[in-house]
Amino acid sequence: MNGLHRLIKLQWSHHRRSFTIGIVVALIPAIAGIALLGVAGWFITAAALAGLSGVFLNVFLPSSLIRGLAIARTLGRYGERLLTHDATFRFLADLRCRVFDGQSNQAGGGSKPRSGAALNRLTSDISSLDAVYLRMVVPGALAVTLGALAVVWTVSFSPVLALGPIFLFSLIIGFGAFVLLPRKRNANGRNARRREAALDAVRLRTVDLVGGRRDLAVYGGLDAAAEAVKSAERRLALAEEESDARSSSLVAKAGFAGQVAVAITLAIVSWQVAEGALGAAVAVAVLLVVMGLPEVMGGVVPGLANIGRTGLAARRAVSGVQSGQEGGNSNPVNPDHDIVSTVANPAPAPALAFDAVTFGYPMAEREVLSDFTFEIASGEWLAIVGKSGCGKSTVSALVAGLLTPAAGEIRLRGEALSAIKEPDLRRRVTVLGQKPYLFHDSIAANLRIANPAASDDELWQALEMAALDERIRSNSSGLDAMLGETGVGLSGGEQRRLGLARAYLTQPDLFILDELTEGLDAANADEVLSRFERFRGEAAVLMIAHKPDEIARADRVLRLDAAAASMAVPLHQV
Amino acid sequence: MRASGAHVDPAAEEGLCADGPPEGQPVLATVPGLAALIGDEARSLKRAGRLFALSDVIWIAQAWLIASVVADFVVPAAGGAVDFMVWMYSLGFVVLAFIRMQLNLRAGKLARQTARAVKSRVRADLLQAISSASPASELPTSGAVAAHVGDQVDALGPYLSNFYPQNVRLRLVPVAIILATAMVSWLAAIILLVTGPLIPVFMALIGLKAKAASEGQQEELVRMSGFLLDRVRGLETLRLFGAVERTRNQIADVGDAFRVGTMKVLRIAFLSSTVLELFSALGIAFVAVFVGFSLLGDVTMGTWGAPLSYTAGLFILLLAPDYFAPLRAYAAAYHDRAAGLAATEKLSALHAEILARSEVMPVHAVSKADQQSASETAPSVCFEDVSLCLGARQVLSSVSLRVGAGEAALLIGPSGSGKTTILDCLLGLHVLGAGKILVNDQNMAELDPVAWRQSIAWVGQAPRLFHGSLKANLLRANPGASESDMWEALALAGAVDLVERLPRGLGTVIGEDGFGLSVGEARRVGLARAAMRKDSGLILADEPTAGLDEDTAADVICGLKAMSGGKTLIVATHDPKVMAMTATHIQIRDGSCLEVVA
Repeated sequence: MNGLHRLIKLQWSHHRRSFTIGIVVALIPAIAGIALLGVAGWFITAAALAGLSGVFLNVFLPSSLIRGLAIARTLGRYGERLLTHDATFRFLADLRCRVFDGQSNQAGGGSKPRSGAALNRLTSDISSLDAVYLRMVVPGALAVTLGALAVVWTVSFSPVLALGPIFLFSLIIGFGAFVLLPRKRNANGRNARRREAALDAVRLRTVDLVGGRRDLAVYGGLDAAAEAVKSAERRLALAEEESDARSSSLVAKAGFAGQVAVAITLAIVSWQVAEGALGAAVAVAVLLVVMGLPEVMGGVVPGLANIGRTGLAARRAVSGVQSGQEGGNSNPVNPDHDIVSTVANPAPAPALAFDAVTFGYPMAEREVLSDFTFEIASGEWLAIVGKSGCGKSTVSALVAGLLTPAAGEIRLRGEALSAIKEPDLRRRVTVLGQKPYLFHDSIAANLRIANPAASDDELWQALEMAALDERIRSNSSGLDAMLGETGVGLSGGEQRRLGLARAYLTQPDLFILDELTEGLDAANADEVLSRFERFRGEAAVLMIAHKPDEIARADRVLRLDAAAASMAVPLHQV
Repeated sequence: MRASGAHVDPAAEEGLCADGPPEGQPVLATVPGLAALIGDEARSLKRAGRLFALSDVIWIAQAWLIASVVADFVVPAAGGAVDFMVWMYSLGFVVLAFIRMQLNLRAGKLARQTARAVKSRVRADLLQAISSASPASELPTSGAVAAHVGDQVDALGPYLSNFYPQNVRLRLVPVAIILATAMVSWLAAIILLVTGPLIPVFMALIGLKAKAASEGQQEELVRMSGFLLDRVRGLETLRLFGAVERTRNQIADVGDAFRVGTMKVLRIAFLSSTVLELFSALGIAFVAVFVGFSLLGDVTMGTWGAPLSYTAGLFILLLAPDYFAPLRAYAAAYHDRAAGLAATEKLSALHAEILARSEVMPVHAVSKADQQSASETAPSVCFEDVSLCLGARQVLSSVSLRVGAGEAALLIGPSGSGKTTILDCLLGLHVLGAGKILVNDQNMAELDPVAWRQSIAWVGQAPRLFHGSLKANLLRANPGASESDMWEALALAGAVDLVERLPRGLGTVIGEDGFGLSVGEARRVGLARAAMRKDSGLILADEPTAGLDEDTAADVICGLKAMSGGKTLIVATHDPKVMAMTATHIQIRDGSCLEVVA
């Protein structure tokens, strides 16, 4: 709920005017609809009385009023929908940007990365948040305003007439307060979380069942795995039934309450008319207005009944926006520092230096790296080798600023990594991983991530250096070909080359190669490395590797021992 | 009256379901396949629809009560028992309202429960098809299946629990209201009859355009969510290339373009619901005008003889909105239908595909006593002229080989030669075409395959670790094992270091959606999982070193050796490092055994 509250505040501050105008305009068709009923009731009754007594009735005013109200209702509804939806979509577009900002401040700040599923949920949460304004804020404002107006209007005839509207008004206020009650809020939130957890379990367990059938047959059994999916489904059904039953009972009770209000008003108006305190035509108008109220006021019920789910989505989206502001401190790169000086050191400082660097996950029993010290001279090619899990990739993440050392210092050309401005660091260090992330976008867009100013010629040059130009040229769309499931299917090796081409659009002081040729056959690996060697020029290289062919290209090899990461032993010096 | 009243429904449906099945039939029953309703389910949903309709029809009685009370004070008849009648009628109105509430609750519950039962049945059928297929058969990708079992089955829910009963309601309620109106005034009934069917016609005209546009926009939404997701996933790359700020601007542009597109679609969609409201307002207004002028005495036709009384006039006016209500509800539920039908189709196709691709697994039930001998001690394994065809392909042809109790054997051959298939046969995943496999001189076909598999220590080519803690993954192999057993198995597999560095040690959640282990790390954990079966006498390993660096490969080989002391070991490989092990070498090529070198 906290999330919901903050989200409403976010939307309010995003554009106050459209937030308010949406509500005000929504009032027009709602009021017109109810007034239409009242006027129609009044008109018929007056007509009946006139027909009986033969008195002249001015049919012109009420009938034009009916016409006007009908038009106001229909057109107002159309305009209201357009306005409120447009305002909401504007806000959601802005929210997407904010969430991206939040995530980008957080990425690699040393905190736990979000899983793919969590990110997926975050992005789909945003799309579901149109419900907050459209189904909660606007109908809520309508219900309260119309209820209050109806009370005021009926009181103007006689306080006792207001009994029906007061009954409805207090019900809606009471219901809102009840749903927003902390205990109720938590119960709704719990139900929404249970439902989501069960849905996740259905998905994960199905993926495991389909993808791991051999392993399941030997370890644990296929039927047991199918049963596990079903048990997750039963939990899902329970959670869904709980919330569905609640919301359908709310809707039904709201309908009943509306009819009770009608019955109360029916009894009261006929008593008042019999007493002579009220004209018959006005009495029918009041009755029909009370009949129309529940429909408008009940509009808030579905939105409030779904508050658990919407609240959960809102909380996650708000935390997605804010995580960056909190995670910002763990960002090792100092964005405010703008003095970049490499001239200060007359003797060429080492391209990269680790000085007693220690790193470990907070909850782990052992540190991944402890007291690790090494240097890469300017223009040197250093290979770090060691078993899987010995911390090689941690070294690369530390240099790239994706992880922050717990102790010790990392220096680039003598300058502390923590003091280098982010854009400078990115210009000076290029990371070539074993799995380059390729975006579902065109080849050109993927390449220009590295250098947005690169011309098409430069892109082709980079592709040529990566030996990928012919493959791309063979496709009719060339650089504009889309990557991904529906686009060009690049093989694993070709994807690697595209990552390489992307790196060729940068001119760093230091390359980090993280298992660059992993999964490539010997001939391909050799070609990739040779081309890289020609391209790198004067840049220093930190290579994480285990293949003999790769290691042979290095000037120096450092063996990282799993048992004692600090005992880095130089193997050979070329 | 009845004939023309019944005419409303097919017309209404025809207008809206341009792509639907022939009118007059329940929509769902004509869709065959997995998600088709079986007897009771369709009956329950129809019953739910009829309960909803009954609740609506009660409104006719309530409207009559209101009209009577109001008429009583507007045009008071002679006699003084007014107060009593007012209270009785008001009370009766509330009682009827209460009955309606109960009917709606029951109908809703019935519809929900039936929908849930159908969803559960469809999921169970899919799971049954998956779990009874041999693990050696190629099924559609796990992601696609999970999307079907999750989202597509869920899409059936609103279709069944909402659209279906609304469809039934639409067939009953307007007819009842027209009949009730016609009893008072035939002209009012005709006004409703004329304006009602116009709604679906006009909505269909605008709706068709809106439908095409909104489908496009739905794809656009998926694409935009995908764009954001893609960029957030690739944030590390964006950051490493300093492209974060630029990408943010792109996201803003894409979001804005999407908003503009969506509003274009919504303008049309809102227009169609505006038309609906306009026509229902027109219908009500015509009735109101007719009633008003009849009461004034300006109109004298349209009734069955006697002039329209005030009671009757108010009565038909109160009924008019409820004539249009089911039409509006139907229109609102209409998109559930499209989603539900699409899901039905996709689910049936997936089910058929799984059944078509799946290979039958051997199933036997044999007393447990026979099992003990096979699993506890190191068994001897013997293939006698084993042949196997998968589809049209001959995978194994007359394979004969023998591995003595406690011996080690290597199946050597290039990939695709049938090594994995031989191991699969030993796991009991195939029904042999010819020949037999003897385990301790007992025909394997006589063993209970499930219990047999659970007694083997097996390491696959790419060990699949399941979503859950590392501990839970290890315990799958041996549910009764202690913590020290686990560390022992991890030590055998050379995975102690690795586990100690994980964020939460043995409690680290791995697998799908968990901490990502590298290929080498997963292999070590897979080996440790096999080592958890200390008591098993047979160890099978399929390409245990493929894709591993030398250090890890050496560790894995070392672990296999340590595990296999005194046990029967069969390893499929083409890695020279593994071939250096002391073992019988069995050359496999094109599905047959070439030579055996001891």
